[in-house]
Amino acid sequence: MKPFDPRLLRAAPAARRPVAALGAMGAVSGAATIATAFALSAVVVAVVEDTDVTTPLVWLAALFVARAGLAAGSETVSAWAGVSVSTELRSALLRRWGSLDADTRPERGAALALATSGATTVEPYAARFLPTLVTAAVVPALAIVTLAVVDWPSALVVVLTLPLLPVFAALIGRATAESTERRWAALASLSGHFLDVVRGLPTLVAYGRARRQVETVREVSDRHRVATMETLRIAFLSSAALELLATISVAVVAVTVGLRLSTGSMLLGPALVAILLAPEAYWPVRRVGAEFHSAADGAVALDEILTHLETPSSPNAAFGSERAGIPLISASNAAFGSRRGGGQQGALEGRVRVHGVTYTYAAGSAPVLRNLDLVAGPGLTVVTGPSGAGKSTLLDLVAGLRRPSEGTVEAPAVHYVTQRPFLAAGTVHDALTIGHDVDDVQLWAALRAVGLDGVIASLPEGVWAHLGDEGFGLSAGQRQRLALARAWLSPETVLLLDEPTAHLDDESAHRLGELIAELAERRVVIAVTHRPELLEHADHHLVLGESGALEAATAPTLEPALEAALEATLDPAIEAAPEPHGETTTTHEEPS
Amino acid sequence: MTPAPSDSGLLDRPAPVAPAQHTPAVWRPSAGIVRGGLLGGIATAAGMALTATSGWLIVRASEQPVILTLLTAIVAVRAFGMARPVFRYWERLTSHDAALATLAARRTAAYDALIPLTPARLGRRRRSDVLTGVVDDLTDEVDAQVRVTVPVISTLVACGLVLALTALVALPVAGILLALAVVVAGTCVVALRLESRSLTELLDARAEVTRVSELTTSQAGELRAVGGWDTALGWLDRAQEHLARATRRLSAGRALASAAFLLAVGAAVAGIVLVVRDLDVGAPVKALLVLTPVAVSEAITPLVDAMRALARAEGSAARIAALLGLTPAVRETRGPGGTAPTLATDRPPHIELVGVTASWTGDRQDVGPIDLVLAPGSRTALIGSNGSGKSTLLAVIARHLDPTAGRCLWDGTDVTTLPLDDVRGLVALVDDEPHVFATTLRQNLLLAAPSATDDDIREALDRAGLTRLIRALPDRLDTVLGAGGRGLSGGERARLGIARALLSGRPVVLLDEPVAHLDPPTATAVITDLMRAEHADPTRTILMVTHRPEGLDLFDRVITLDPARR
Repeated sequence: MKPFDPRLLRAAPAARRPVAALGAMGAVSGAATIATAFALSAVVVAVVEDTDVTTPLVWLAALFVARAGLAAGSETVSAWAGVSVSTELRSALLRRWGSLDADTRPERGAALALATSGATTVEPYAARFLPTLVTAAVVPALAIVTLAVVDWPSALVVVLTLPLLPVFAALIGRATAESTERRWAALASLSGHFLDVVRGLPTLVAYGRARRQVETVREVSDRHRVATMETLRIAFLSSAALELLATISVAVVAVTVGLRLSTGSMLLGPALVAILLAPEAYWPVRRVGAEFHSAADGAVALDEILTHLETPSSPNAAFGSERAGIPLISASNAAFGSRRGGGQQGALEGRVRVHGVTYTYAAGSAPVLRNLDLVAGPGLTVVTGPSGAGKSTLLDLVAGLRRPSEGTVEAPAVHYVTQRPFLAAGTVHDALTIGHDVDDVQLWAALRAVGLDGVIASLPEGVWAHLGDEGFGLSAGQRQRLALARAWLSPETVLLLDEPTAHLDDESAHRLGELIAELAERRVVIAVTHRPELLEHADHHLVLGESGALEAATAPTLEPALEAALEATLDPAIEAAPEPHGETTTTHEEPS
Repeated sequence: MTPAPSDSGLLDRPAPVAPAQHTPAVWRPSAGIVRGGLLGGIATAAGMALTATSGWLIVRASEQPVILTLLTAIVAVRAFGMARPVFRYWERLTSHDAALATLAARRTAAYDALIPLTPARLGRRRRSDVLTGVVDDLTDEVDAQVRVTVPVISTLVACGLVLALTALVALPVAGILLALAVVVAGTCVVALRLESRSLTELLDARAEVTRVSELTTSQAGELRAVGGWDTALGWLDRAQEHLARATRRLSAGRALASAAFLLAVGAAVAGIVLVVRDLDVGAPVKALLVLTPVAVSEAITPLVDAMRALARAEGSAARIAALLGLTPAVRETRGPGGTAPTLATDRPPHIELVGVTASWTGDRQDVGPIDLVLAPGSRTALIGSNGSGKSTLLAVIARHLDPTAGRCLWDGTDVTTLPLDDVRGLVALVDDEPHVFATTLRQNLLLAAPSATDDDIREALDRAGLTRLIRALPDRLDTVLGAGGRGLSGGERARLGIARALLSGRPVVLLDEPVAHLDPPTATAVITDLMRAEHADPTRTILMVTHRPEGLDLFDRVITLDPARR
């Protein structure tokens, strides 16, 4: 672990000021402490010599007040610095991951852990360790210079003994390195055991194995105690040795001062200053060691976060198209901004062009889409095909959420209604206005268009009713219609709809089919569907899994028999398209 | 043959709320901690004595006495200088050992208490995070022994010694020191209040940041699709601003304490200076008395950190007490006559739900009333949006949650009258976050069926589609997985969960969103492999809860569940 990583200041510019302020306050506090040594010795001298104590006492009081202010300020600024660093890193991480397409985004669980608790562990690193580092660099130097002026022999003693501290620490470290490392490894696995067993408790309970682990938990916890104590013994011993070394050094200063005092070759004032100042040279160095331990986790997390942030933003080299020498238009992540701004380089206004696109989910697996061409202009383009033929993938590609492995996608800004459209826990109004502003008239028009106006109007809070876990429960069909109302309201010219009529009864599906057709009069609409309503209105029809659009679309793991079953249930021709399942039960009527 | 349990017994279930508990005293020490505190007190007192005697020595030396008269003081300085690190070392060893023993005991007790609460009382989502929170809270709670109890005892002991000695030499000075102690104690109380007050706010702010972070990490695509990404970033910024404000407010307690301590010490020095001039003691003793508050400040500084640790520990202890104080979500009842009916274990039972409603929290109905029949060997998928009660229903069938009304019949017998372990012993459950234990692949599977042979394990892995994984593992079944071992991809984890279920041979397999976090082709492949295994050996009853379309066509029937009306 590096004591200080300059990348931090680049990654979190807002944290520069508080971190700098914290360092400055540490240095000023050090100076105030040194001044206090002078004032205190002046007071003691005045008391001993029974002279007027007022002036030194006023100085001393003023210094204590100043140090109190500095101490309070440091606590406040250190909290500020810590939280600025952690929030800024978190924000940068989440913004960056959000700008990546689905294939380059890191694994969800690990990413979330790094962004939440990982960023939080950087707080003590920034709030405590960094200022300690500054103090350790400034205060001993200041104390030695002051000592040199006041009483150079004492300064000499300090200069000669102070380097012994890091040398000693290094020696102890080296002597115990091997056993420490061995112990840490054992300790990590022992201390991880309890977390592992507790996190796995649902699994253990499910298979009736939980009770048996109680004894193991007790036994491993006890071994953990023993192992920890072995490690701590060495850690505490080395810190005790350093403290002893510092104390002996201060004692040497005190003895030389005492001897010179008793022979009359030194005055009381400087002598007191010398013994009050000498410890100031040692403790900041020792504190770095102590804070280092508490900041170690933060330093590791920081390194990981900075590595994530500094990975080149467009890992194009990983994409096959580069190797194939085909220009890649939708491949640039930076395009997200410009897409929303209305069209990107090369895209014809209001037209979607997919050219020679092949898409593979993971290296080594069969492509889901192969050499696909599609041009969609104003009107309704309906995409059908069996499950696994890559219909949703195609929409993801047009929306820029995924990047083609080969080929190009050109599209203006799109509004994409996914199979599980995002509806935040909030009000109906919030759900409909995310991403664009609309007035109440438009809002109700949209609700009327999708046939939700009656349901919403009957709610006591109307469009301000809360959705989700704590409020009004929407059926799958109602959520679908709400998402479509939002698409109706969106300003984008291109609408992508993934199974827009999936959860609806025939009557509602028919109505929505008409609504989508109406939308397609003004906009480019590409809809993926299993059902026939939309085909009636289609201006273009793309069948995936057929003639040239795509060969082998089925997953390689399917056995021939199952494959046949799949083809049978999901006939791409979609004649009548009943629900592809045997029996469908709806247990609740939709609220009305 | 169906024993009829009294309806009132089913309806009047105690609400799973923790009984009003007083916050347990986290600082209550064990014997080892008291010993540590006393040793710490000696170390602290030695440190204070070192400062004071050094001052006395210098002043006495400046009077140029015969060098021999200084010798006692020099020896004393040396002794105190050596005693401080030695006793500090001893104290740290003693108190850490005692605290770790307490931690071991608390962990064992907490683990034991968690078993009957798992899984239904751990919240409905991200249970592993709840459990991680328990582990952290236990550590924080026990941490108070080392960070609070020991420093407080040490300070009390050292300051008591100083007060007693000072009272012998100069009573007025002892009075001033006593006043200093009172101010310090008062400051500690105020600082603790400030910390505790802001801590709740801080934790709420942190939870909100986590919620929004989760939203943006797991739903970035959906948010972008509807143009809501910038709005979500706005939520993130707002949550983070809140967090920043709460963190800064939390620092008020520490800021107050560290400033007040310095002011109090300064005031005490000034007070002693004014008093000591009129005392009838020698100059070196006067110097010693003036320097005493400075020496005392060494003993009181650790109290700033101690108050923060105490506030945290109290919060942690309260959370643990609240969680462990919950009543389990299932009650084991006996059939009439005290003997419980038994179930056939060699074939899937006929499962029938009649008008079942259920609730996780007791104050809101999460599902139902619902009627459902799961015939032996049937394969059913249960779909529906969030909040429609799919997982609740699954928990009822898995015997993790008692229904609030209606009956769940297994082979015609009300399931609440059957022995809990018997019923659960027939059910294999696969959830969306199968836990991979930090042990070998073999042990990870054996927990589902302790008597299984390696051949059984390999067969289960094959059927779950993990053949390629075993081949890729360096030590095959002996490869260590989990934290510190080989990581598994999301798809491999899901398959591992399924392999466990298959290996267990249990006749009822319940899948709770098994592919929730997988990409569509992987999800399809996982479900397809599972169903293929079942086609080959159609002896199990399978019920899968999902919100995703992958593989639904492979089930006998698909049931759509809509949200309960509230």
